[in-house]
Amino acid sequence: MSLFSRFMDGWRKYRKPGYYDEFDYHWTMTIDLDKCTGCEACVTACQAENNIPVVGEDEMAKGREMQWIRIERYWEGEYPNAKLSFIPMMCQHCDAAPCETVCPVGATYHNQDGLNAQIYNRCIGTRACAVYCPYEVRYFNYYDHEWDSPLEQQLNPDVTVRGKGVMEKCTFCIQRIRQAKDVAKDDDRRRVQDGEMQPACVQTCPTKALVFGDRKDHESQVYKSMNDPRNYRVLDELNTDSSVFYLKKVDA
Amino acid sequence: MTTETFKLGYNDIHDDVVRSIVKTGPKYYITLATAGSVTLLCFFFPWFYQLYYGIGAAGMNHPGVWGTYLASFIFWIGLSHSGTLLSCVLHLTNSSWRKAMYRSAEAMTLFSLVVAATYVMVHVGRPWFIHWAVPYPNQMELWPNFRSPLLFDVMAIATYITGSTIFIYMGSIPDFAAVRDRTSGWRNTMYTLLSLGWRGTDKEWHRLHWAYTFLAVLIIPLAVSVHSIVSWDFAMSIVPSLHQTIFAPYFVVGAIYSGTAGIVTVMFVLRKTMGFEQYITKLHFDNLGKLLLVLSLIWTYINGVELFTAWYSGTSEEYEALGYKLFGYYAWLYWEMILFCAVAPMLMFSTRFRTSFVPMLILSIAINIGMYTERFLIVATSLSRQYLPDAWGVYVPSLVEISIMVGSFALFTTLFLIFVKIFPSVSMYEVKETMATPKMEPAAPAAGSPA
Amino acid sequence: MPNIDRREFLKLVGAGGVSVGAGFMLREANKDPREYLIPHVLAPEDFSSGLDTFYNSVCSMCPAGCGISVRTREGRAKKIEGNPAHPVSQGRLCTLGQAGLQALYNPDRLTAPMRRTGEGESASFEEITWEQGLKQVGDRLDLLRAARRGNRVAFLTQGVRGHLAQLFESFMRQLGSPRLLHYDFDHPHTLYAANQQFFGESRLPYYDLANTRLLLSFGADYLNNWISPVHHSLGFGESRQGRADVRGRFVQIEPRMSISGAAADEWIPAKPGTEGILALGLAHHIVAEGNYSGADLGAWTNALADYTPDAVAEQTGVPVNTITRLADSFVDTTPSLAIGGGAAGNHSNGVDTLVAVNALNYLVGNIGQEGGLVLNPEPAGPAVQQHRASYSAMVELAEAARQGEIDILIISGTNPVFTLPPAAEFAEALAQIPLVVSLSSFLDETTALADVILPSHTYLESWGDDFPEPGVGFSVGAVSQPVVSPLYNTRGTGDIILDLARRMGSSSVMPWQNMEEFLKYGWRRIYQRGDSQTLAQGFDAFWTSVLKAGAWGETTNGSTAFTLNPDVIAGIGVAPPEFSGSEEGYPFILHPYLSPNFHDGRGANLPWMQELPDPMTSVVYGSWVEVNPVTAEEMGLSEGDLVDIQSPHGQLRVPVFVYPAIMPNVIAIPIGQGHGEYGRYAKGRGVNPIEILSPLLEPITGNLASSATRVNLTPTGGRVKLVKTGGVSRDLGRDIVQHTSLGVEVSSAADNSIPITEVTT
Repeated sequence: MSLFSRFMDGWRKYRKPGYYDEFDYHWTMTIDLDKCTGCEACVTACQAENNIPVVGEDEMAKGREMQWIRIERYWEGEYPNAKLSFIPMMCQHCDAAPCETVCPVGATYHNQDGLNAQIYNRCIGTRACAVYCPYEVRYFNYYDHEWDSPLEQQLNPDVTVRGKGVMEKCTFCIQRIRQAKDVAKDDDRRRVQDGEMQPACVQTCPTKALVFGDRKDHESQVYKSMNDPRNYRVLDELNTDSSVFYLKKVDA
Repeated sequence: MTTETFKLGYNDIHDDVVRSIVKTGPKYYITLATAGSVTLLCFFFPWFYQLYYGIGAAGMNHPGVWGTYLASFIFWIGLSHSGTLLSCVLHLTNSSWRKAMYRSAEAMTLFSLVVAATYVMVHVGRPWFIHWAVPYPNQMELWPNFRSPLLFDVMAIATYITGSTIFIYMGSIPDFAAVRDRTSGWRNTMYTLLSLGWRGTDKEWHRLHWAYTFLAVLIIPLAVSVHSIVSWDFAMSIVPSLHQTIFAPYFVVGAIYSGTAGIVTVMFVLRKTMGFEQYITKLHFDNLGKLLLVLSLIWTYINGVELFTAWYSGTSEEYEALGYKLFGYYAWLYWEMILFCAVAPMLMFSTRFRTSFVPMLILSIAINIGMYTERFLIVATSLSRQYLPDAWGVYVPSLVEISIMVGSFALFTTLFLIFVKIFPSVSMYEVKETMATPKMEPAAPAAGSPA
Repeated sequence: MPNIDRREFLKLVGAGGVSVGAGFMLREANKDPREYLIPHVLAPEDFSSGLDTFYNSVCSMCPAGCGISVRTREGRAKKIEGNPAHPVSQGRLCTLGQAGLQALYNPDRLTAPMRRTGEGESASFEEITWEQGLKQVGDRLDLLRAARRGNRVAFLTQGVRGHLAQLFESFMRQLGSPRLLHYDFDHPHTLYAANQQFFGESRLPYYDLANTRLLLSFGADYLNNWISPVHHSLGFGESRQGRADVRGRFVQIEPRMSISGAAADEWIPAKPGTEGILALGLAHHIVAEGNYSGADLGAWTNALADYTPDAVAEQTGVPVNTITRLADSFVDTTPSLAIGGGAAGNHSNGVDTLVAVNALNYLVGNIGQEGGLVLNPEPAGPAVQQHRASYSAMVELAEAARQGEIDILIISGTNPVFTLPPAAEFAEALAQIPLVVSLSSFLDETTALADVILPSHTYLESWGDDFPEPGVGFSVGAVSQPVVSPLYNTRGTGDIILDLARRMGSSSVMPWQNMEEFLKYGWRRIYQRGDSQTLAQGFDAFWTSVLKAGAWGETTNGSTAFTLNPDVIAGIGVAPPEFSGSEEGYPFILHPYLSPNFHDGRGANLPWMQELPDPMTSVVYGSWVEVNPVTAEEMGLSEGDLVDIQSPHGQLRVPVFVYPAIMPNVIAIPIGQGHGEYGRYAKGRGVNPIEILSPLLEPITGNLASSATRVNLTPTGGRVKLVKTGGVSRDLGRDIVQHTSLGVEVSSAADNSIPITEVTT
C-alpha cells in the first residue's frame, strides 16, 4: 500500500464512529464497598506481583508512597456514631482519561483492551499525568530502588523493574492478561474465558469484594456486577468514563 | 516627545555605547566570575546531583508531583514576556521612550527563555530523553502526542525563542555595524560577521524597518499565545483550582506584569553599572511605572475573580482549595503575594514615587518576589487539595530546589553579563532618532560610515 | 607526510602495540565473569525456563492454616496465592500471608547454626557446623535421658498442629519430660475453656458466617486476627452480598472499633470487660420476652435473673433500648450467630464472658444449624490442646528455671521474650538455664538470648502438615511441602528433632530419617480412613494426589445433636471485670490489639508489612496510641504529640493518634512493634504495649488478662510527625463512598466465586 492510501485508510478508520470504543476486550472491575473490609490483602498482593519497591521510612515521611492500589478511609459522624468506610482506589482505566491527553511523548495511551497503558521506556517523567489524574493513582519513581538481597529473588520476571524518573500505576496486571491471551490464542484462537485470569488484587481478596472481567462478555460475572442497581463510579461527574465500578455501601 | 538625549550629539552615544562594550574594568570581571561560579555551584552542581540520584533530591512527593521547578519555569517564561512584547507593542505605537531600553529588554526575554528551557530539563524525570518531545522522524516511528498542552508548550516556546532571537538580532544589525566601525582586532572580525555587511544605505534601512515592523506585528500574538499555552498546562487539567478559563489571561497579564517589573530592575542596574544615566531616565521609569500600575490593577481584578468564582461555585472541592490557599499551610505566602503585588504597587499612583529610582527598584523586586510566589502557590496549593481528601498532602521544597532557583538567577545574570559585552545594550540608531540631527561636520569620521 | 625515520617509526609501532594490548587486557579484566545459562541438556529438576511451577502448601504466617499455592519460577518463589481447593482459604489469602515471601527471602535470616561466645555485653555468635551443634545438644539430651532426668528438658514451641506436634510429643515422651509447651500470645485459651465448659469439648466450633443473617461479635475481630481471618472474610462476603435476596447484618461490640467493627453495620461501644454482661443482658431479654421455650427454661430464668436491661445498661454503658433491640433482632433473624473473643476474652472474666456468648447461641437454637455454630468433628490429625501453655504455665516455667530445675530449653518459632510482659521475668529466667537452644529462623529477642541456634527452614522450605482449627464443619487437612530448595544452611524443624532423637538413642521408637518420611507414615493412617476408591489407588498415589490438590477433606460432619448439661446453666454468670491499678491513679484502660500487619509481632521484620499503612489509621513504620477526640481535646493533644503511658508495671512513650471510634476512657496501642532485635526492619522501631501489661490473670485458664491494665496518660510536650499515607479522612460532602439503604438495592448478583483455573503454558 502506498503511503497515501495507508494514510487515507487510517483516516477513514479514525472518522468512523466508534473508533475509540471498538475494543478487543473491555476489561472492567467492580468493587463492592459493602464487602470491602479494608484488610489490604490486595495492596500486598499487588506489591508482590508487580515488583513495587519498598521506599523506606524516610521516603514515606516525605510523602512518596508507592502503592498501585491504596485503601482510602473516610470517617463519618462522631463518637459514638462514628463510621469508617474503606474504598480501594487504583487506576480507573478511564475511557476518557485526562492523563492520556497530557503526556507530551505519548507514554500513556488507551490500548485495544480498554486499558490505560503506561509505557515505562517512553516516559520522560514530566509528571503531568499525575497532576491531571483526579483519582491521584499515578506514582512516580523519585529514586532508583533497591532490594536488600535476597529479596530481589522474589521479583516477578514478567514485570519490568522501573528505574528513576518514570511514572507507574496499576495496569490491571497486564502481564497476566497477556499470558491469558497467549494461552487462549494457542488454544485454537478462542477468547479468554471469564475467570481464567484475575489481577493479583482480585485473586486474593478474602471477601470477594473485587470482581474482574471483560464487560463485552455478557455472561461474565463483572457484567452482571457492573449492572447491579447499586453501581456507581467515583467522581463520575468529571466524565472520565472509568472502567472501575463501585457498588454502594448498604446502610442497614 | 523629547527626551533628555536631545541635548546629546551622535558621537556621544557612540562613545558611550562602544565604551560600554570595549572597556572592561576589573569590576566587570569580578561580577562575571561571581555570577559564573554561583551558577556553577548553585545551579549546575545540584542539578547534576539530581541527574545522578533522581528527582528525589527535590521535595516533590505524592500528590505534590510538581514543585518549584515548574513554578520557576513559568516564572522565567513570564519574565520573558515583557521584553519583546513591550518592545513590539511600543514600536507599533511609535513611542519614543522605549528606544533606550528595548534592546536590554529583548535580551532579558531571550535569556529568560534560555533559563526556562534549561529549567524544563531540570524538572523532567529523564531529561536525556527530552528530545522525544520534539517531532522529528525517528526509527521508533513515534511522534509526540500533539494533543498534549505540554507539547503545545514545546511548540510555542520554540517559536517564541526563535522569533525573539531573530528579532533582537535583526534590530541590532545597524548597531553591530556601528561598533564594527569603531573597533579593531578580534572584535572587528566578530562584528564584521555579525553585521552581515551592513552599509547603511537607504534601501537597507527601508528593508530593515519593514522587516522589523513585520516581526513586531507577528510577535505580539505569539507572546500572548505562549503564555496562554503555558497556562493551559494547568487549565486543561481537571484539578479543582486549576481548571479555570481565567488562567490564560491570568498568566498573560501576570507575565507582562512580572516582566515589566523585571525590566525596571534591569534598567536600574544598567543605568548604574554601564553609565547610561542619560539614556535611561526618569521618563522611562515613569512610563514603566504607569504600565506596572495598570497591570497591577488588572492582576488584582483577576485574583478577585478567581476567589469569587471559587466561592460562588459552592462545591466542596473549590471551597477547600480556596480555604487552603487563604488559610492553610501556605497562607503566609498568599498574603505576602497580595501585599507585594496588589497593595504595594498602589504606591505608584504617586508621580514622585514613579520617578524615584531606588523606590521603583525595590518595588519591582518585591513585585517579582510576589509573582514568583503566585506561580509557586498555583502549583503547590492546587496539588495539595484535589478531589479525594484521603490523598491530600503537603509539598515542601528541598535545599536542592532552592539552590537551583538561586542558581537560575545567577545563570541569567551570567548570560546577561556576557550579552552586554557583545551586543550594544542600548540601541544606538534608535536613540539617535530622538536626538537633534547634527550639522554636518567638515571632517567626516575615519571609517566613513554615516551611521 | 611528516618526516619519520625508522627508529621513530618502530617506537611508534611498539607504543601502539603495547597500548592496544593493555587496553585489551583491561577490557578482559573488567568483563563480568562468565556465566552459564541453564543447560537444557542436563536441566535441573523442576526447572522449566520461562514456565511457572505451582506448589501447594500451607501458610504459617498465623495460626489459621490456610492452604496456599505458590508460584515458582526457576526455583524461586514469586507469588503466594490462596489454594482454590483448600476449604479454609478457597483461593484467597490475607495480607500477612502474601508477605510470606519476604520471610523466605528476608536478608536477616539466620543462615547457619551458631553458638554464643562470650558473656553479657560482649556476647556474640560464632558460626558452627550442624554436626557440632547437633552433637552439643544431642549429647546433653542423651545424658539426661540416660540418667532418667529427662524431665529437666523443656520444649517451648509456637502453637503447631499436625504431625510436627505429634513429633514434639513423641520426642518429649522419649525424654520422659512433661514440659512441652505450645505458647502463642494470641491463643484463645478462654475460648477453649468456655467451649469445654459449655459444650464439653475443648475444641473450636465452626462459625458459619457465610449462611448467617445476623452476627453479633462480642470483641472478636474475626475479619482481622481472630482465629481464621481469611475464612471469616469469605463468610462475611458471602453473607453480605453473596446470596440473592438476603443481606447479612453484622454487629460489633467492643470498646475500640477494630476492622471488624468498621465493616459492621453497627458498632456498639461497651465498657471494657463487660461484653459478657451485655450478652447475658441480651439472654435475659430473650428469656423474659418468652422467646425461648426449651425444657430448661426455669434454670435459665433463674440464672439470668440479675441481668435485667437496666442493670446491664448501667454496667456496660450500652443504652437499654439498644440491648432490647439487639436481643429482639437476634431472635427474630434466623439464622443468627453470636461469637466472642479477642479483647473480650482477655479479661478477668474472660471464660465466663465466652460462656455467655455460647449461651446466646444456645438460646436461639442455632447450635449445629446452618448459619449458626457448628460443632466440629474430631480433627483427623493429632490432638494437642493439652499442651497449650497459658501465661501461668509460662510463669511456672520461668519459676522452674529460676529454681534450677531446667537444664535444657528448646525453643521453636515462638518469641516469649517479646510477647510476655516483663512481669513474667522470662528473660531473666532464660539466663538461669544452662543450655538454651533456639530453632528459630530469625534472630528475635528470645533467640538472641540462646546458647545454641539451630536455625530452621521457613515454612516455604519445609515439610509439614496442618489440620486447621477451627475446621470448616468437616475434617480438613493439608500437607505443607517445600516450594523452593533451602536457601541457606538450615534444616527443617522436624528433621532437627528427628536427628536429636537419634542422638539420644530413640531411633528405634522414632526411626524416620526425615520429616517427609514421618509425614508419610502419619498420613497412612489418614489414607486408611478413606473410602474404597481411595484405598484402591494405593498410598503413593494418594499421597501424590494430596500434595497436588494441596488439601484433604472428609465430609462426615460433626455431631449436630447437642444437649446442654444442666449444671452448666446454674454456673452461668459474669462478674464485673477487674483491672490493675486504681481508677484515680490510672484513669485510662489500655486496649492492646493485634496489629493487622504484624499479628503478635512476627510480621515486623517484613518490609512490606512495615510499609503497609495500618488499615484504620494509615500509619506506617511506627507505633501510636489511639485517643478519643473529646479526650484529646480536653488534654490539649493533637496528632503526633508524644505522651507517656504509664501502667502499674511499666512506662512507654508514644505519639498520639486522634481516633474517632474509641471510648473516652480507653486508649489503644497496636501490638507488633517495639522490637529490640529481629532484624533491620523491626529493630528499634515503635513500642511494644505488652511491656507495660500488668500480670492480671483470668482465673480459670490462668491466661493473661491482657486487656485489664489501667494506665495514665501524660503529655510530654514533645511532638513527632506521624508518618502516614492518609490525608484528611473525611468525605467533605463529596460522596466518594456512596451509600444506599437496604430494601431497595440489595445485590442480585449470584455468588461471586470464580474458581481460578490454573494458567498452564
